[in-house]
Amino acid sequence: MIRRIWREDFRIIGYYTGLVTIGVGLLMLIPMVTSLVFREWASALDFAISAALTLLVGYVLALISRTKNTPGLTHAMVIAAGSWLVAMVLSGVPYLLSGHAKSFLDACFDTMSGYTTTGLFLLQDLDHISQGLNMWRHLLTYVGGQGIVVLALTFLIGSTGGAFKIMVGEGKEEKLEPNVRHIAILIWRISLIYLGVGTVVLGIIATANGIKPYLAFFHGAYIFMSAWSTGGFAPYSQNMLYYHSSAMEIASMVFFILGSFNFALHYAVWSGNRKEILRNVEIVSFTITVLTTFSLVCLALMQRGVYPNAVALFRRGFFQLISGHTTTGQSNIYAQTFVLEWGPLGMLATTIAMAIGASAASTGGGFKGLRMGIIVKGIATDIRKLLSPERAVVTGHYHHLRDNVITDGVVKGAAVIVVLYVLIYVVGAVVGMAYGKPMADALFESVSAGSNTGLSCGITQASMPTLLKIVYIVEMWMGRLEFLSVFTMFGFIATSFRSMRLRKVAA
Amino acid sequence: MKRFCVVLTIMVLVALIIVPVSANAEQPPVLSTTELVENSYKWDGQTVSFKGEVLQDLMVRTDGTWMNLSDGNNTAMGVFVPKGVAMPVISRTEDYRTVGDVVLITGVFHRVCIQHQGETDIHAVSVTVLTPGSTKANPIHLGRVVWFVVLAGLLGVVMWLYYRKPTDGTRH
Repeated sequence: MIRRIWREDFRIIGYYTGLVTIGVGLLMLIPMVTSLVFREWASALDFAISAALTLLVGYVLALISRTKNTPGLTHAMVIAAGSWLVAMVLSGVPYLLSGHAKSFLDACFDTMSGYTTTGLFLLQDLDHISQGLNMWRHLLTYVGGQGIVVLALTFLIGSTGGAFKIMVGEGKEEKLEPNVRHIAILIWRISLIYLGVGTVVLGIIATANGIKPYLAFFHGAYIFMSAWSTGGFAPYSQNMLYYHSSAMEIASMVFFILGSFNFALHYAVWSGNRKEILRNVEIVSFTITVLTTFSLVCLALMQRGVYPNAVALFRRGFFQLISGHTTTGQSNIYAQTFVLEWGPLGMLATTIAMAIGASAASTGGGFKGLRMGIIVKGIATDIRKLLSPERAVVTGHYHHLRDNVITDGVVKGAAVIVVLYVLIYVVGAVVGMAYGKPMADALFESVSAGSNTGLSCGITQASMPTLLKIVYIVEMWMGRLEFLSVFTMFGFIATSFRSMRLRKVAA
Repeated sequence: MKRFCVVLTIMVLVALIIVPVSANAEQPPVLSTTELVENSYKWDGQTVSFKGEVLQDLMVRTDGTWMNLSDGNNTAMGVFVPKGVAMPVISRTEDYRTVGDVVLITGVFHRVCIQHQGETDIHAVSVTVLTPGSTKANPIHLGRVVWFVVLAGLLGVVMWLYYRKPTDGTRH
């Protein structure tokens, strides 16, 4: 039986959404300061307006819904899904004010792409935007990777009973520490340490590549934030091609592979359990799927003679494949190259890699290695059962932080999410094809959006149909939050209307 | 002497007519990033011309200089100027407050450059500055200042209401 929705439910959701919104408003002060440092006065004013508006909305929400009750599971899911929508809309204001977004929908597309660490963009004349706006784009993706709610939990919300549920709603379901605030702080501590290291490493490489030192460290920070969060943005429209540097690409690749690993795995390694890297089912799954899909990419590229030697093939082919597999989306080839040179097999292999994606509870998207591992092990266990004597008790195991037994419930849970991902990939592809795009291109772009990857074969442009933009936004949103919180939000809205009707009848 | 002068004049006139025509015939086509990338096999190894604004970073390496030239909305091409090719002084490169120099380069287009591990690029043989860069205005609009003042004022009021009398259940 579905429970009725009361006014207090709205207050809880409004209050916590307000706090998350305040967090987003405070975040806008960073690009504002960046613009001031670079003497970009008009851009700084745009961020001041946006921050004031976002803080105003956040404080009004928190003021009118102030409550002492903590969120239950339903509230938590709705807060997680709703906060992302509110953040998408308000974070789009600086884009619109900058004049680089053709419409507010385009601005929302870019902010959703940033928060969900996708990396597709519709921004116009990217090569001429302010440092402040570039900081904002990369900050969105960095914060989105760790989770907006995680950010708010760390700085605004105390250790409440419902806080962990909100994190689960945002796709961070690993309980690393008993106290939820400690988990949030831990996630941020790991990410900030890597940010420091990554900025210095990439900054030094950029300086060695001939970029002015004061700019090199901004480039380093941007590329790190993009890589670590498996986001895929870069300060210039050429993406990684801008740097003409294998060192930059290798360093970035290391960071986005690290970013694509489960936070629980990072924690295990940080806590001294280094053997976990070799035993973890996600790492095993990731290694197998990378080798398989890269073999397909090599076959496709060699058949077509795209690259003249192994070095070029590896530098372009492996970078693109691993960027897709970790759902990063950084690119060292032009978007059209996929269609015109890589051919159907190369595109299909990359599409499969993107669809599978990164690890669970990481910054990446896609089915996730954990689910792939569980499903494959589940199938293997079933086959072993069929081949064993009827009286034999056959159990399957997978190693994720500890040895876990494979049960039908675990396999079903993983399979349901995989099916939902396939569903959004197919819906996006069908809409793309309805607008006349070839199937391979439409599927590539749809999977890229739904798995939060961000590689593009050229479909994503400001001139693409409005419906396709909306479909991709929904795909990015659902793919990032892994469906549950989004469905709960829709269910909550439907139940609200039902409760209102019942109250009217009772009155 | 008179005959010589007439012959010389005719020769000069013929030269003036023929030389520009022949130079024009040898002038490689000025192509865009889109044209080069979408017809990469056609232009691979060909001498082409490319015109674009110099983006922010001129990256000097041991064997030459990399520059990225923007030739439209979100389209740009990497151009490698090897050591030994005369590089004019680039007075301004693009940033938020500056329009970079617009340069015309002539060079060999590589669909997949062997020297640069498969990069799509142009190796320049000549670089000419067509238009020097300039400063961009980026003015502050008064309307936006008013918006900021209004929003900041409202925010101040709401924050005062919010923090004025915190209830027991909140953690602020």
